[in-house]
Amino acid sequence: MAGSYVRFTPDDFVVSTDAISSTLWSGNNPTLSTFFTSSTQENGSSGDFYLNVYQTASNLSASAVQFAIAYGDADGSGSKAYNTAVDGKSPTSTIFGQWQDLVIGDENTNFTFGSITSSQVFALPIERARYKEALFLGSLSLTIKNPLDTSSGSITLTDNSNYVTAVQFTEAGRVFQLISGSAGVISSNLSKNTSEGYTTASGSYGWLLPDIGTILLNPLALAAPTGSGGIGFSFSGSATASADPNISPNSFLYKAISGSASFKLNSQENISSDFVFVRPRSSEFNYSENPSFISGSTGEVLYSSFINNPQTFITTIGLYNDTNELLAVAKLSRPLSKNFTQEALVRVKLDF
Amino acid sequence: MGYLNNTVVTVDAILTDVGRLALAKNDGSFQITQFALADDEIDYTLYNPNHPSGSAYYGEAIVNMPLLEAFPQATQMMKYKLTTLPRGTAKLPILAVPASISLKQGQSQVVTPQTLNYFGGNTFETSGYTYTISDVRLMSTFEGVGINTSSAQSLNTTNTVGTSVSKTVIGTSLNMRATTINTLFGTNTSLYATLQIVGNDSGARVSIPITVTKVN
Repeated sequence: MAGSYVRFTPDDFVVSTDAISSTLWSGNNPTLSTFFTSSTQENGSSGDFYLNVYQTASNLSASAVQFAIAYGDADGSGSKAYNTAVDGKSPTSTIFGQWQDLVIGDENTNFTFGSITSSQVFALPIERARYKEALFLGSLSLTIKNPLDTSSGSITLTDNSNYVTAVQFTEAGRVFQLISGSAGVISSNLSKNTSEGYTTASGSYGWLLPDIGTILLNPLALAAPTGSGGIGFSFSGSATASADPNISPNSFLYKAISGSASFKLNSQENISSDFVFVRPRSSEFNYSENPSFISGSTGEVLYSSFINNPQTFITTIGLYNDTNELLAVAKLSRPLSKNFTQEALVRVKLDF
Repeated sequence: MGYLNNTVVTVDAILTDVGRLALAKNDGSFQITQFALADDEIDYTLYNPNHPSGSAYYGEAIVNMPLLEAFPQATQMMKYKLTTLPRGTAKLPILAVPASISLKQGQSQVVTPQTLNYFGGNTFETSGYTYTISDVRLMSTFEGVGINTSSAQSLNTTNTVGTSVSKTVIGTSLNMRATTINTLFGTNTSLYATLQIVGNDSGARVSIPITVTKVN
């Protein structure tokens, strides 16, 4: 046998999929603590529907959208109507219908947070590039503070994935309730909450939808009195058919989140790896086409001892297709000795 | 008695530019079926068979050397392949080809390598030779002939449109014709590329500089 290529056998390939979690926000920060918006976006046509949130000033080159805030109301409250002659149809009703369709899949069913049904919702879709494939369960710590009443304190929310025995599913995949607590652990002080971590009368604080990278907040729970687990969160001003409120619900929630300056969340993705086992046998790969392996122009080996006891050093592994095209390549961290008395086993990992 | 070393060396591989192209083509060409080993970066003159401390130290100056990371350019990797030859081989296969190739615009050339020091005195390898030009734009014709396997024919009929991409063909001979396109030259009078030839059975490799000269 001669040559430089050795064919793999089916036993040489193993495919493995591993879940990898990592920090979510730009700059590999586990906590988003600075929040900015773009006046251009806010005052543009998309600003009627949602508000993009950046980690730095939006005019800086390093700025990137981290998440968005979109308020939805089935009755169209919270923004002026598209047409004064048509009541109840506004950007907020469009947003509500959008999330209703995506998550519930039924235009006649409202969101049920805990045991409370709500026709309002705040959606916080995370930028896709941030969360990669899914939100990592048990990593959420979102602190919200009432921007108008600092005496109401703040509340930190997390998901109840650590306490769920049977995972619930929606049209948008897995769903978990938002509860009082942090990093997947329920708050130790539940004097104002139910034993599940919900508000006492307004249900859970919302939903975590990890598979679509979205957090839905329950406005009713946030608006509940502090004694009932809420923070008295209610919008100032109200929209009419012909006028926007003096502060939009999206901007109001932005102030509530940016004022607390703490939004922790991790991402998760499944990485499929192809493990290829490279097995050079004792009789293989003991000579080299390296120009320093030969002396002169006629191909004699460099040392006479190399005739019967050649010694090579493996530095590089090439993976080829049938037409000898080099598809992937791996380098060893140090040369690996090879001769007629040695065999080697190298596992090459190829990520997709 | 000591413990045997049962650890498996694990290394991470990266896709080459050719691998990414094969993935993009989605024609089944991204199918890893074989491997080869190389000893790029190794200088065997550092190997010392006269080391005073004995044979365990012959490779001392080599085994601890740091290695560079892999380059994604396929033409820059696996330059010096390790090869399997019978024990007792005194001379390694080498390719007999022109030392360089100079062509005028539109001029043709046939390259037919011969492998010296190969089994039984054969000078042509039955699996043919793999030819890779570093910039295919220099050639209006670049085709391998003489190997009729389906995989070789598939490779030889693949055309890639783009900027400064390499092209690989397989054959016992290579037919080349220099480009007639003037715009490639810009203000230059000559264009340069590299032709790499690898014996598919022996692993012998040679790299030839190619010059294409503008004629008008």
